[in-house]
Amino acid sequence: MNHKHIAAAAALAMLPALAAANPYQPYAGTTLVVSFPNHPHYDAVDKVLPDFTRETGIEVEVDKLQYTKMRDKQLLEMAKPRGDYDLVAYVVFSKTDFVAKNLIEPLAPYFLNPALADPDYDPDDLIDVYVENAGLVGGKKGYLPGPTAGLYGVPFGAETSVLAYRRDIFDKHGLQVPATYDELLEVACRIPELEPGMGGLASRSQSGHQIIHAWLLHLAPLGGRIFDDHWNPIFNQAPGVQAAETLKRILACGPKGGAGQGFGGMKELFLQGKTAMFLDSTVVSGEVDDPNKSRIVGKVGWALHPTGARRGSQTGGFGIAIPRNSQNKEAAFLLMQWLTGKATDKKIAHAGGSPNRKSTFADPAMQRRFPHFAVFGEALKFADADWRPLLPVWVGELKGMIGPKLSDAIVGDAPIQATLDELAERTRRVMQREGFYTYQ
Amino acid sequence: MRAGYATRLSRIAPYAFMAPAVMIMAGALLWPLAHSVWLSFHEWKLGTPQDAAVFTGLENYRILLADPDTLTSLRVTLVFAFTVVALEVALGVGLAILLERPIRGLNALRSIFIMPMMIAPIVVGLLWRYMYNEQFGPLAQLLFMFGVEESPPWLTSPDWALASVIIADVWQWTPFIFILALAALQSVPTSVVEAARMDGARPRQTVLYVKLPLILPVIIVAALLRLIDAFKVLEVIFIMTEGGPGLSTEILSMRIYKTAFEFQQLGRASALSNLLLLLVAAISVGLVLFNKLRERAHASG
Repeated sequence: MNHKHIAAAAALAMLPALAAANPYQPYAGTTLVVSFPNHPHYDAVDKVLPDFTRETGIEVEVDKLQYTKMRDKQLLEMAKPRGDYDLVAYVVFSKTDFVAKNLIEPLAPYFLNPALADPDYDPDDLIDVYVENAGLVGGKKGYLPGPTAGLYGVPFGAETSVLAYRRDIFDKHGLQVPATYDELLEVACRIPELEPGMGGLASRSQSGHQIIHAWLLHLAPLGGRIFDDHWNPIFNQAPGVQAAETLKRILACGPKGGAGQGFGGMKELFLQGKTAMFLDSTVVSGEVDDPNKSRIVGKVGWALHPTGARRGSQTGGFGIAIPRNSQNKEAAFLLMQWLTGKATDKKIAHAGGSPNRKSTFADPAMQRRFPHFAVFGEALKFADADWRPLLPVWVGELKGMIGPKLSDAIVGDAPIQATLDELAERTRRVMQREGFYTYQ
Repeated sequence: MRAGYATRLSRIAPYAFMAPAVMIMAGALLWPLAHSVWLSFHEWKLGTPQDAAVFTGLENYRILLADPDTLTSLRVTLVFAFTVVALEVALGVGLAILLERPIRGLNALRSIFIMPMMIAPIVVGLLWRYMYNEQFGPLAQLLFMFGVEESPPWLTSPDWALASVIIADVWQWTPFIFILALAALQSVPTSVVEAARMDGARPRQTVLYVKLPLILPVIIVAALLRLIDAFKVLEVIFIMTEGGPGLSTEILSMRIYKTAFEFQQLGRASALSNLLLLLVAAISVGLVLFNKLRERAHASG
């Protein structure tokens, strides 16, 4: 047998291995339709998607919608026998609703499939609290981790809360970065006196989802919860009232025209230099130092979410899941795996997105480029996965009922305690109707 | 025999000719209505298959009528609809009377006046949301030029928001009343107007006692059409306030949308749609009856 024959035999022997080395081959030419939100993280994703198509031959068509409206269309699509979406991004609170309605795929069969699952995916590297918050369904309370939970989505564009503050303004007036809620309120209301025309802290306050988010952001650190362990509403107790009063004070000391903002409006107020502080999602960091979007480049410092009765930062943002009625589930899984893999996570972070992996935060090169990653890593240790109840009834009826009333009490003049008492009573009736007190 | 056949045919023929139209009407109008009534007796959550709908009888109606937010929404709807129609009729008819006389450049003015009506409601919502922006909006800048530093909280205060969306609707739909009133005014016979003048009527009196009574039937029909529309308006409010702050602009159509897509209760949303339909039908029938009685009184008087 001469060298030629040996080489040919070796090549032949390697053929199956070569074929297996490219898991994307069977799906090349497929077009995946994905439903993504209009959100800074997904703006960064847009920049890396062409790389996926180049590497795999799989095309991706993105249907982008405003993130609070995205769910309506997804529900309608996913309820059809054959849906148009192959991958959907959802705000984490939709996970239980989607699973309860049997609309998204459990991911275990895909991670078990050797032709699809990348052995180097390293699931341990995904940030635990993000996986718990965005992906696990069926554990404690139905939405928390636990032995009975299963994985239905992977965090992608997940976030926690941090305090961003204008270092230049704080240095100029010798202000201390607030570590507690008392200090936060004091500084927030001193800023407008020290810097006329500038508000203390930007906050969401738009009627509905946004004002609930703002109130919950303070409720958990101030020691409150929506429900006790038996689904009795307790948000009308002292911490609930204190959280509403805190939000009211923040808005009063906020920027001119700051009322009625959603997430985007609030972020803009901070990026345009109209407020000295921002206490919300980490995702703002991707835009703070982008001169095309920000007037405060290089002026921002980062700190942990201030402490009230306890330290607790929010956990939110998005996860991605595969609809059960997708026609391209395997290819969709490959895209999901690629997007949330180690290499892409770093790429997206470079493009201004939010990392979902520990290795991205821990990478010295990343830390050099994004010094705030150290604070974010610390904030994640205190991330509270139970700061809001991720129940289908909460996402639907309760949020819709509570949002406008909360707005009346915080933006309007309705009495806070009486409003919360009335809402707690109405919440109890809805929970009763939905069967939450069956075992009581 | 032959004549009998022809008679029978001529009796059937009209129904035969009408049948396709009746079938299309039944399919396109009655079936969805019947389905909506059927749905209102069921609990069906958005995102679940229709066979998952559970019959609950009148439960949806009971929940809706026991919900204080439904009553708030009903009150907001009535205030919104009657205020916009009253303002639009007053302004539209007023403008028509002013612009009826031959003035130079009148045609151009008329065209400009009816432009808002041609803009898609979504765009009107976006346009006014920008107008009302407290930081960058043209209204805030205009007020600033006059020394008002703090813009009113047009869309962000429960006290202002309803008035603000009413202004937007009046801006868009006054032209509708205006063109109908103008056409009616122009069709008033000149002989009647001249007779009044010869009897010594002043221009104001001619308008009040001759022209307005003559165009009243047209105005009533136009107002009725606007009223029906005003009860169903969604897009402008959806874009400008989404029903907020609080429930201050949550008209029934907005609440139906939220019940279906936010609360995900399709059955309850159908029940609310049916209640809105009943309300609009009652008001429309009432107005038509009122007009008939008025005409009869007028004829006999």
